[in-house]
Amino acid sequence: MTRFGELLHTLGAAKVDFILVGGVAAAAHGSARATQDLDIVYSRGPENLKKLVVALAPLQPYLRGAPPGLPFRFDEETLRQGLNFTLTTSHGWIDLLGEITGGGSFEDIVNHAVAVEVFGVGCLILDLPTLIKTKRAAGRPKDLEALAELEVIRDKIGS
Amino acid sequence: MNSVDQIIEIYKRDVDKTLVDACLKRTIEERIQALEDFETFLAELRKQVVKKRDAVR
Repeated sequence: MTRFGELLHTLGAAKVDFILVGGVAAAAHGSARATQDLDIVYSRGPENLKKLVVALAPLQPYLRGAPPGLPFRFDEETLRQGLNFTLTTSHGWIDLLGEITGGGSFEDIVNHAVAVEVFGVGCLILDLPTLIKTKRAAGRPKDLEALAELEVIRDKIGS
Repeated sequence: MNSVDQIIEIYKRDVDKTLVDACLKRTIEERIQALEDFETFLAELRKQVVKKRDAVR
């Protein structure tokens, strides 16, 4: 089970530069669809990698779906060497995305994010038109129903 | 309109607009909290189903 609020609070308290994307961003825009993980696009600047490690290391992150006992170290070097990480933590599942299909990096999409305050911390959420654009770009069949709902929401709120 | 657009348009017919309206009435924090509450509910439900299944074995 993922504790979305606590994960967001942990990231916000450590002042990590991130943008909420994926199913939780969709829920934030009004989607009624369930999701099990928190997807974020994080800035890959050295300072931010440090903050990310400080924030998440105490939650014992581990590669989701990997057999137990693999020598996985969640540190700045690991983050530098990789790009996207699907992790399980003591607060639940989180996907760290260095880039998102159809959107790019944190710096590419930061101007398409809206600032909100949730669970006592400020965070950025990918705006609805860009969320729709990235889901379309991903081209996954499972996203088509979600896209239909997001476009209905967009038409309702006139975004 | 390409085939993806056509599929999305078909799915739109089945979007539960009452659910969407209910979600839009909530704050962003309430929407995320609802996701978490649903996860908690599911975890409890699954636990009870497993318990019941084990009991009848």
